[in-house]
Amino acid sequence: MQEPTFLILTALAAGAQHGYGIMTDVARISDGRVRLRAGTLYAALDRLKADGLVTGDKEEVVDGRLRRYYRITDEGTAKLAAEVRRLRANAAVAACRLGLAGGTA
Amino acid sequence: MSVTANRESRMERRYRRLLALYPKDHRREHAEEMVGVLLAADGDAPVRAPNPAAWARRFGRHTADMADLAGGALRIRGRVALNRIRRTRWLSVTVRDRRWSDALSVVSVIAPLLLLIAALTEFRIPQAVASSITGHPHWGVSATLGLADLPMAAGAPGVILLVFLGLRRLAALGALATAIGQIAAGAVPAFAGYADPAVAFTVLLSCTAAVALLFSPGPDRGLALLTRSGTALVGAGALILGGFSLGGDAWSAGQVAGLPADLLIAAVLITAAAACLRGPVSRRALALLAIPVIPYAFLWQEKLAADLFGQPGDGSAVIPSSIPLLYLPPLLLASLILTGTWFARRRAGERDRQVGSATSGPRSAMSA
Repeated sequence: MQEPTFLILTALAAGAQHGYGIMTDVARISDGRVRLRAGTLYAALDRLKADGLVTGDKEEVVDGRLRRYYRITDEGTAKLAAEVRRLRANAAVAACRLGLAGGTA
Repeated sequence: MSVTANRESRMERRYRRLLALYPKDHRREHAEEMVGVLLAADGDAPVRAPNPAAWARRFGRHTADMADLAGGALRIRGRVALNRIRRTRWLSVTVRDRRWSDALSVVSVIAPLLLLIAALTEFRIPQAVASSITGHPHWGVSATLGLADLPMAAGAPGVILLVFLGLRRLAALGALATAIGQIAAGAVPAFAGYADPAVAFTVLLSCTAAVALLFSPGPDRGLALLTRSGTALVGAGALILGGFSLGGDAWSAGQVAGLPADLLIAAVLITAAAACLRGPVSRRALALLAIPVIPYAFLWQEKLAADLFGQPGDGSAVIPSSIPLLYLPPLLLASLILTGTWFARRRAGERDRQVGSATSGPRSAMSA
């Protein structure tokens, strides 16, 4: 799973969000390291929707502008959880080999 | 109207113009919210007193946003096009077959590798290596690069790099662009280049690489099936072929190590084909690779004829190459592969249905 995909799913794991909310949340989660732009975000959302990992939620109009919310599906949650397990296992091995605290392998 | 509102409407117009690059369905569903997101991100950026540095920063941000929008449109359009091709009956039938899908994976490793070696031969690098090994004084590295060589010189390393980075679909597009570039280069003067077996070989090889990269599970699966030693063997075989045979103007510049090299090339090809005949996946990979290798065989017989009967380029080839001879047999082979897999799939489907009705028959009779 690529990092932007991981971060988008992570942003949605806390609850449904609109496009701009996802962009700001991804920047917050990654400590400003990853800044999604609209083209990248909507191409990723399009792919995630096609893969059944994300689905559209409610819509609202704020200041005359349409906002559509997106939420993670059960399949998306399962995929994100699997990725978390994989990353955690890899990190544990790396930490152990580097002699850092918390390593298990 | 305030300055901010003016700027917003100007930006909105620019964003909307760029959104026209997106597919109609996507635009209908997302254009309004995308404009909203773009303007919200724009409004969120700190606004400072106008000065050249702030203007340059804002200009840079808008340019990056617009490039990103165009990139997003390209990605979505690419995905839509790919899905459309995948849904076509002929391709889905072939690719769904596990053995063909594995064979395509193997080809997705071999074809870009061959493409790279074919590009290196443009600069006579494998030939120079072969020359230094055999002691035959026929080649030195050539640093000349013509316009017609550019598609291969830039495309082949690009494809390999994208494969290495795991960007399979982009690599496929790169291979397709390499083929299109060569076709465009061959059109000047009109059609003259297409009757050249070396051009036909690299064009068809680029197309084969593109198809394998697009429709297989990917080079990772291919590498797992090939194993490291298999990949090294393929690389060594390809280097021998490159070292003693093909490459742009190879034929007009003198014989490449003469008859022993012709026999060596034939031995490599026959050994590779014989080794591939053993397994169901390698047999299929062989059939797929035969598509570009057909014009390569023409190249070989031209060299053999020149070594046996005359000077290179003097028309002594047993079978003079022509556009129909170079392109029709590979096309026929590709059609055979598709129709063959289609019939096999249909037969398997009928067999499954017969087995299904045979097993469900007594059960329904019992329940009745």
